Amino acid sequence: MNGGPAITVEHLNVSFGDSHVVRDLSFTVQEGESYGIVGESGSGKSTVLRVLAGLNRDWSGTVTILGEAQGPRRDKAFHRAVQMVFQDPYGSLHPKKTVDDTLAEPLAIHGIGDREPRIARALKDVGLPMAFRYRYPHQLSGGQRQRVAIARALILEPGILLLDEPTSALDVSIQAEVLNLLQALRSERRLTYILVSHDLAVVGHMCDRLMVMQLGKGVEEMQAATLSARAPVTEYAKELLTASEGFRRS
Amino acid sequence: MSIAPADQPLLEIDNLRVNFNTPTGIVRAVRGLSFTLGRERLGIVGESGSGKSMTGRAILDLIPWPGEVLADRMVYRGQDLLAMPRAERRRLRGRHISMVMQDPKFSLNPVVTVGEQIAEAYRVHHRASRREARERSLAMLEAVKIREPARVYELYAHEVSGGMGQRIMIAMMLIAEPDILIADEPTSALDVTVQLQVLKILDDLVTDRGMGLIFISHDLHLVQSFCDRVIVMYGGKAMETLPAAELADAGAMAKRHPYTLGLLGCLPDLDHRRDKLQTLTRDPAWLA
Repeated sequence: MNGGPAITVEHLNVSFGDSHVVRDLSFTVQEGESYGIVGESGSGKSTVLRVLAGLNRDWSGTVTILGEAQGPRRDKAFHRAVQMVFQDPYGSLHPKKTVDDTLAEPLAIHGIGDREPRIARALKDVGLPMAFRYRYPHQLSGGQRQRVAIARALILEPGILLLDEPTSALDVSIQAEVLNLLQALRSERRLTYILVSHDLAVVGHMCDRLMVMQLGKGVEEMQAATLSARAPVTEYAKELLTASEGFRRS
Repeated sequence: MSIAPADQPLLEIDNLRVNFNTPTGIVRAVRGLSFTLGRERLGIVGESGSGKSMTGRAILDLIPWPGEVLADRMVYRGQDLLAMPRAERRRLRGRHISMVMQDPKFSLNPVVTVGEQIAEAYRVHHRASRREARERSLAMLEAVKIREPARVYELYAHEVSGGMGQRIMIAMMLIAEPDILIADEPTSALDVTVQLQVLKILDDLVTDRGMGLIFISHDLHLVQSFCDRVIVMYGGKAMETLPAAELADAGAMAKRHPYTLGLLGCLPDLDHRRDKLQTLTRDPAWLA
């Protein structure tokens, strides 16, 4: 299943003005692996993902993706191999474009033919009926929109999918459907995932390994099994785990 | 107002309905909900569109046109809310029954300092001088565990963090010392560690002051660990009402409503890793 590292990040630093939001972060994700990044707001977890996707150009350190060292700008081939799904399905789809337009755009950018069969297949892959093809985002539910966003990412057949809180805007029943879809797609296509979430249970369910971040630093890297065994080493990871188990009356 | 005996419920609601009359027909957001609230933490859980927030708003008479609130009985400490004139209902709102909204970013006034907003809430309900209201507000900020209340008093909404904003909102709602607090997803915009601090404040109020708390949430784990009783809502109806502890009790699952089981089943669980999460099948008969 794996053929070496898909993503290597070494000594990544990101600053916005005076605030140093990612501090000397290093990790490696193997090909075919699902890697989680968890942390509270302001921990820098989404910023890491934006650096990897090429959305944030101001950083220092070394980022190697699929064997190639990455600079601040990325070329078309990169975006064909690495795609991202965003948190808010209400904000990430163009309100005046139909599902068909949304899915056709990446194909047009990359000069890929066979529009018809590719769009039809992308819809089928994410479990949306063909009848949805000419609908606008406002005619879809939150879960359906997130499926469209996933279809848009997958239509280029990338090897790496960057997922930024893909289900935190969804109801739990819809979250289950979207997580199942992501799991099935990963095993079918041997995709590599990086999943950013504040929800430890979601990361524990989806990922093989994970990194806990706090205030820009990688606090602890662990196997998902460590999470289930409630056996993190650092104080902060323990605290986060305890807090996620709900309220305790002392 | 006479003090109600301790065992009298704070709120009794029978067959509550919220309808929206739209050009394309009547949308029934709440369809016949009945419950009583004592000095306890009552959770209302459900997915979006289940009518849980509408229930909270209906109690406060905050349903906007074209919505209408109907009920067979709505009684607050022996006083019939349905027969009450609007003005009197308004006096009750904020003073005796209060509500904390989900997002402090959109609920605080951006052009007035947060301290003045809290003081204003006090002066609306009590005859008090500005100075007295200010002192009360500072004490209230301290009660919701805000450090340096005097400094925070002078800040504007955009200068405070999410967790602080939510505590400021709670301070504002509690300064009038209501008997009933309706909290609509009060912690879902917050990080888990801050969330627990806010819950602790609410919890102390129920324990120490004997307040009745209606805690509206979509988070089953949280409701199960925080509340005493839980109403599970779907499509505007209560599917079941149960002691919160039973949500986590594997032995009690046989008695559970299939919708409750479905909701529990689709949550990822660190202790039971599965390849596939259970998905929910909804039965139209539940709404019959």
